[in-house]
Amino acid sequence: MSRSQFDDDEILGKAYDATLVRRLGVFVAPYWRRLALATALMFGGAAVELAPPFLVKQAIDGPIAARDPAGVLPLFGLYAAALLAAFGFRYGQTYIVHSVGQQVMVDIRTRIFSHIQRMSLAFFDRNPVGRLITRLTNDVDALNEFITQGTVALLGDLVRLLFIVITMLLLNWRLALISFIVFPAVMLASSVFQRIMRGVYRRVRQRIARINAFLNEQISGVLVTQLFNREEQSRIRFAELSRDYLAAQLESNRTFAVFFPLINFLSVTAMALLLYFGGQAVLADVATLGMLVAFIQYTDQAFQPIRQIAERYNTFQSAMASAERVFRVLDTPATVVDPDHPRSLPSPVRGEITFENVWFTYDAEAAGPDGSGLADSDDRWVLRGISFTIPAGQAVAVVGATGAGKTSLVSLMARFYDVQRGSIKLDGIDIRELRQAELRRHVSAVPQDPVCFSGSIASNIRLHDDSISDEQVRRAAEIACAAPFIERLPGGYEYEVRERGSNLSVGQRQLLAFARAIAFNPEVLLILDEATSSVDAETEALMQEALARLIRGRTSIVIAHRLSTIRHVDRILVLHKGRLVEDGSHEELLAKRGYYYRLYQLQFAEEVRG
Amino acid sequence: MDQFHHLWPFVRRYRRRLLIGALCAMAATAVAAMIPQIVRFAVDDLNTRGVVLDRLLQYGGLLLLTALVEGVLRYGQRTQIIGTSHLIDFDMREALFAKLLTLDQGFFTTMHTGDLMTRVTNDLSAVRMFLGPGVSNLLGSMLLLLTAATLMFLTNPTLAAIVVLLLPMAAVLFVVIGGRMRVIFRKVQDQFGEISTRAQENFSGIRTIKAYAQEDAEIRVFREANERYRALNLRYVLLSGMLWPIIGLMLGAIGAFVLLVGGRMVAAGEMTVGELVLFNAYLAQLAWPVIALGWTVDLYQQGAASLVRISEVLQRRPAIASPPDAPRDFVVRGEVEFRNVGLRFSYSQSANGDSSAHPASAPSPHAQPSVAGASEWVLRHISFRIPQGGSLGIVGATGAGKTTLVNLLARVRDPDEGQVLVDGFDVRTLPLAALRRGIGYVPQDTFLFSVPIRENVTFGRPDATEEQIAHALAVSRLVNDIEQFPNGIDTLIGERGVTLSGGQKQRTAIARAILRDPAILILDDALSSVDAHTAAEILAGLRSIMKGRTSIIIAQRIATVKDADQIIVLHNGEIVERGTHRELLERGGRYADMYRRELLRAELEEE
Ligand SMILES: Nc1ncnc2c1ncn2[C@@H]1O[C@H](COP(=O)(O)OP(=O)(O)OP(=O)(O)O)[C@@H](O)[C@H]1O
Ligand SMILES: Nc1ncnc2c1ncn2[C@@H]1O[C@H](COP(=O)(O)OP(=O)(O)OP(=O)(O)O)[C@@H](O)[C@H]1O
Ligand SMILES: [Mg+2]
Ligand SMILES: [Mg+2]
Repeated sequence: MSRSQFDDDEILGKAYDATLVRRLGVFVAPYWRRLALATALMFGGAAVELAPPFLVKQAIDGPIAARDPAGVLPLFGLYAAALLAAFGFRYGQTYIVHSVGQQVMVDIRTRIFSHIQRMSLAFFDRNPVGRLITRLTNDVDALNEFITQGTVALLGDLVRLLFIVITMLLLNWRLALISFIVFPAVMLASSVFQRIMRGVYRRVRQRIARINAFLNEQISGVLVTQLFNREEQSRIRFAELSRDYLAAQLESNRTFAVFFPLINFLSVTAMALLLYFGGQAVLADVATLGMLVAFIQYTDQAFQPIRQIAERYNTFQSAMASAERVFRVLDTPATVVDPDHPRSLPSPVRGEITFENVWFTYDAEAAGPDGSGLADSDDRWVLRGISFTIPAGQAVAVVGATGAGKTSLVSLMARFYDVQRGSIKLDGIDIRELRQAELRRHVSAVPQDPVCFSGSIASNIRLHDDSISDEQVRRAAEIACAAPFIERLPGGYEYEVRERGSNLSVGQRQLLAFARAIAFNPEVLLILDEATSSVDAETEALMQEALARLIRGRTSIVIAHRLSTIRHVDRILVLHKGRLVEDGSHEELLAKRGYYYRLYQLQFAEEVRG
Repeated sequence: MDQFHHLWPFVRRYRRRLLIGALCAMAATAVAAMIPQIVRFAVDDLNTRGVVLDRLLQYGGLLLLTALVEGVLRYGQRTQIIGTSHLIDFDMREALFAKLLTLDQGFFTTMHTGDLMTRVTNDLSAVRMFLGPGVSNLLGSMLLLLTAATLMFLTNPTLAAIVVLLLPMAAVLFVVIGGRMRVIFRKVQDQFGEISTRAQENFSGIRTIKAYAQEDAEIRVFREANERYRALNLRYVLLSGMLWPIIGLMLGAIGAFVLLVGGRMVAAGEMTVGELVLFNAYLAQLAWPVIALGWTVDLYQQGAASLVRISEVLQRRPAIASPPDAPRDFVVRGEVEFRNVGLRFSYSQSANGDSSAHPASAPSPHAQPSVAGASEWVLRHISFRIPQGGSLGIVGATGAGKTTLVNLLARVRDPDEGQVLVDGFDVRTLPLAALRRGIGYVPQDTFLFSVPIRENVTFGRPDATEEQIAHALAVSRLVNDIEQFPNGIDTLIGERGVTLSGGQKQRTAIARAILRDPAILILDDALSSVDAHTAAEILAGLRSIMKGRTSIIIAQRIATVKDADQIIVLHNGEIVERGTHRELLERGGRYADMYRRELLRAELEEE
């Protein structure tokens, strides 16, 4: 099914746990000191916790058996001290480990986020937002579990188990060996259990990611769902996804439900064995009765870390399932990258744009790095052999039918994608040899879909660039003709814009996006992609006058379907099915009687007919 | 506990399962309590009578049998109780989603998508963790505590009294620490929603972020949000990290007392060594459930905080809903009338201009546009009538209220004054689904789903035949584009249609609306990204389709609306002119100006 193209949430088969742990280790390593301290505390805690049963044994065998109540007191003091120490150790350990976990989460999240920021737009075309968010939220949370449960605590359990085993061996190796008879069975059960859980956890992760992706899209498009009476179908689809998730969860629960009672049973078996064989040992005077009692307690204690280890191993599994996905994002190479030795633009930048035989397709994989994977006649080419030069300071319009490739063409200038064949040059330098940040400082593009962010109007105009003053924001808004509507809003420039600008009209959003482009004051190149398509004609005319002053001396590229929008330009490029079919001034093109002429006739004819 | 009554409807369905689970838990606990008892007899036997081999064998066998029975019961407990929590989780997720689908735009504009998602996933798991492992633990530990206490009393009332008197101390601590924990956890979750919102907005606006090279600044902001999350979490851990150790401490203290007092009793001959051992064994048995109790407190606090966040959605009443007494079988014919309609938006949350507004400060469920002066009329005194089959053109400046006006018809919002009537009925009295079924709406802001184009086009009409689909594609002029796509009409498109061009998206939305075969067709600036040539073709195609149907067309270009039976000009939310194209031109007002401007420009270009 074609859907799989967008779905890489499939279950990964083979285990790379060791590699994953090593890679996670890189994130944890900077905090090794704190973890070492936590480990020390943990050792202290484990050691101190051994004291109470031993003290009980001492009390029973000593003062109590000797009917000497006063003798209990010093033991009591020791007992209390051990308790306090255990409290301090455990609390300290928990806090430190969690603080490291939280810190590592910040690091990993920021790292994933930063990496995603560097991805080219092709990555975002492919990955639903909901899925990316799952990587940042649920998956990172699972990694946190790995740190809080899988590092020090796991070590702690192992050590605790070891201590108990050693103590038992030292106290009475015969009784100890009796308790250990069940250990092989415990290991067998655990390993079977883990094998099952591994798959289950991966399924759980995969399914929650699907739920998130679906949810995100449904929440964003809820109005369309409502208007088209599709609530029922959405509900059904969601229930399907949710049911898959439920099935995985129930499976995991059943596995647990078998495993824990089983381990418990084994622990009681050990106890029974101790009673039977140990009882004979007491008889044979190889062990005291107190010793036997202590051993029964030790065995019980030994099973606590065993149970814990099994449980921790599960959080570990779950973390590994997440780690796989997280690293898969981190391992996705950026396809649009800065060169190792970037060149810089000559200063001052003039703004001459050259396209040299540019071929471009969104299916970069099929085309291969040099574009030889696709035949020239392939439908997948969006731009086919485009060549032109825009001298510095020229105002150019790109026109063409919808889907002709106009937006694609200008996306390439901002290097949102890389071309497969040919090259694009700014002032004679291939834009692939420039740093993206530098390129984009000189190139300002108002995208076809105006985007607003939640925040104030002012922050929508200046984004995070604090070097743009309030005054500049205001001026940009005035030039963009956005000021009149902004000033009417309650709060003016502090008016709270909602997600995606849902509390502004579409035209207002375009004006805002326009103001943003002006505030950023691109040095050479301004690209307007249908930037005024939803703005009324009067406002548009005002904008154009302001703009005409602004772009004087700068290279500008305007895409518009309304021919009236492009009347200022020096030159017009006509795109048709990815090819540049006409190129010239308004008059020249009219004289040619080609596509532009027909387009012009049509609009004009329509408007006089009324 | 009050927030938990919202949970009851979900829990009720599974009473039986829970009851069985509880019975299993009880039985398992009772059985488990026998184990120390058996050990005790064995030890006492050993002490007094020396070893009799087959007695030891009997004890051993008994132990194994008990453990086996316990195991089976525990299996029951886990599958029933925790299994139920997963079922409830599923039900609640479904209910939440179903609720979201009924909520109105008023709600969605005030909430963030990322935050809503957090509520449906993370918060829900917090609740589930309490309901499942939490309750299971609580039940197990309570029962164990009870039986252990009873047995202790039977063994030695004095010692038992000490233990039982000391335990409630723990409860007090839990309540004190727990209360603080819940407050902080709510903040933790809100901050988490904030992180998710940041990411959500960034990813969906990535083109703009990149265009202005804002990546580094975005990373900085994201890191800051994360740092705040970390700080809050540390405050939480400061408390939650204390729970377990403190319980250990308390149990230990009790153990110490038992040793001290019990030791004396044994010394005084009031108690056997076996009894003391037994007591210690019970105490050891208490350790685990009491620790689990601490964990449950932790889960409870998180669950309670999250449940509040979930209830805020679940308890929210949709502002737009079908009235209960709506006529059953209503079919829209297509007559539309607006009677003195007025509408204003509530600006109450934005009045303070707090741009860092916390999602937690999201409006209360029943926010009303009540703050005087905080809301302005966006539409006022709107009256017009379109007979069935008539057409209406709406023009007006950016932000004049055109979109808001047509939204009233499909009940995206309800007016604050006046009435919107369809076929003579106030839309608020009509069944919502039937009303919307009669309307084909092409919103100004195109939204497509990331499913194949075919599914997008048939979105409002899943049962459409191939012929109907082909017709809709032909009218919307999408056919040519589709031919070029690798999989034709079955090509999968990206989220929100990102892999389509602007015009292709709009035309898909047009195809989607006309395929519905609606009585009323609304085009809100639906040709803005389509070139004039294609637009003309689409309009010509629509003209034949619209015969006999009511249509409302909003446009920035007069050419698009001039053939309408009636045109209204909106200005600052009021109708300033109305009439046919000809009448309006004759009036020489705003409309004539607009027209002249367009014409003038066309002529200018001609020269
Ligand atoms: N991100 C993408 N992934 C794959 N294909 C794409 C993507 N964006 C655009 N296309 C395809 O490339 C072709 C050209 O699209 P483009 O957006 O450049 O057209 P356009 O000339 O801007 O059209 P419009 O006037 O409708 O905006 C279209 O067929 C479109 O479906
Ligand atoms: N959800 C909302 N909350 C608050 N104000 C809103 C909301 N939606 C729109 N507005 C405001 O109401 C006014 C009318 O908006 P509307 O979208 O109806 O304009 P429009 O005429 O469709 O404009 P355009 O031609 O730009 O699409 C605008 O000033 C806008 O800022
Ligand atoms: Mg485009
Ligand atoms: Mg509008």
